[in-house]
Amino acid sequence: MQEATFLILTALADGSQHGYGIITEVAQISGGRVRLRAGTLYTALDRLRADKLIEVDREEIVEGRLRRYYRLTPSGTTVLSAEAARLHANATVALKRLRLAGGMAT
Amino acid sequence: MSYSPELERGYRRLLACYPRSFRRENADEIIGVLLATAAEDQRRVGPAESADLIRGALRMRLRPPGRPPGAVLGAMRLMCAGAVASVALLITMVVTTGDLKSAILALDPAFTAAQWHGVLVELAVREWCAPLVVFVWLWLAWANGRGRNWARLALGAWFIFLVLNTLSSLAQGVALVAPADFAVGVVECLIAATATSLVFTRRSWLYYQPEPVRY
Repeated sequence: MQEATFLILTALADGSQHGYGIITEVAQISGGRVRLRAGTLYTALDRLRADKLIEVDREEIVEGRLRRYYRLTPSGTTVLSAEAARLHANATVALKRLRLAGGMAT
Repeated sequence: MSYSPELERGYRRLLACYPRSFRRENADEIIGVLLATAAEDQRRVGPAESADLIRGALRMRLRPPGRPPGAVLGAMRLMCAGAVASVALLITMVVTTGDLKSAILALDPAFTAAQWHGVLVELAVREWCAPLVVFVWLWLAWANGRGRNWARLALGAWFIFLVLNTLSSLAQGVALVAPADFAVGVVECLIAATATSLVFTRRSWLYYQPEPVRY
């Protein structure tokens, strides 16, 4: 899973978000390192919807413009959980090995 | 930011690169996000924004509407391999033209210059048609990847055409005088046969709908 996809799914993990909300959440989650642009975001959202990992929660009209809220599907939650567990396991092993090698302070 | 009609027009021009169905459903929403993320007093679309939108449009246009099943993905890869085999056949034909004449003369010492001219004309036609063959392979891969039902029928027809073409070559004795060309032609037939069988499997069947569904 690409990092942008992982971060988008993570942004939706604790509730539905609209497009702009996802961009700000992703920036916050990544500590400002990943700044999604609209083209990238909506290409990813379209793919995630096609894969049934996210779905539209609701739509609103704000200042005459459509605002669509997205949420994780049960399948999306499962995929995100599995990916998070995989990354966590890898990170744990990496940190353990670094500690054994004395490469980082404990 | 302060609203700029000029900026919105610029965004809409770039969004015109996206597929119509995607635009119809998402354009207003994307415009809203683009305007919300634009810099204060921005009047023109920046180069990075343009690149991002064009890249997104290319991805939307090139990728299939849904994730094809493994069998269809395998068939798509084989069709791309078919295109590569066509290029290989073209190169083989060009490289072995000199050997061809000596091979023909070894088999038939009475082979005339007029007959050799006929062979050269046929070779030239085949070489000029090679880019078209590559295009057909890639076009079939693209259309099958998008779940077009007619595309797998076209692939079946393509397979039959390649088999007939190879049998015709066999009847003309190509296997004897230009074994490399013939071998590559047979490889193309095998690729087409395998790809055709993959797109007609039960798992592939559901993917091919009369009208591919978009969300």
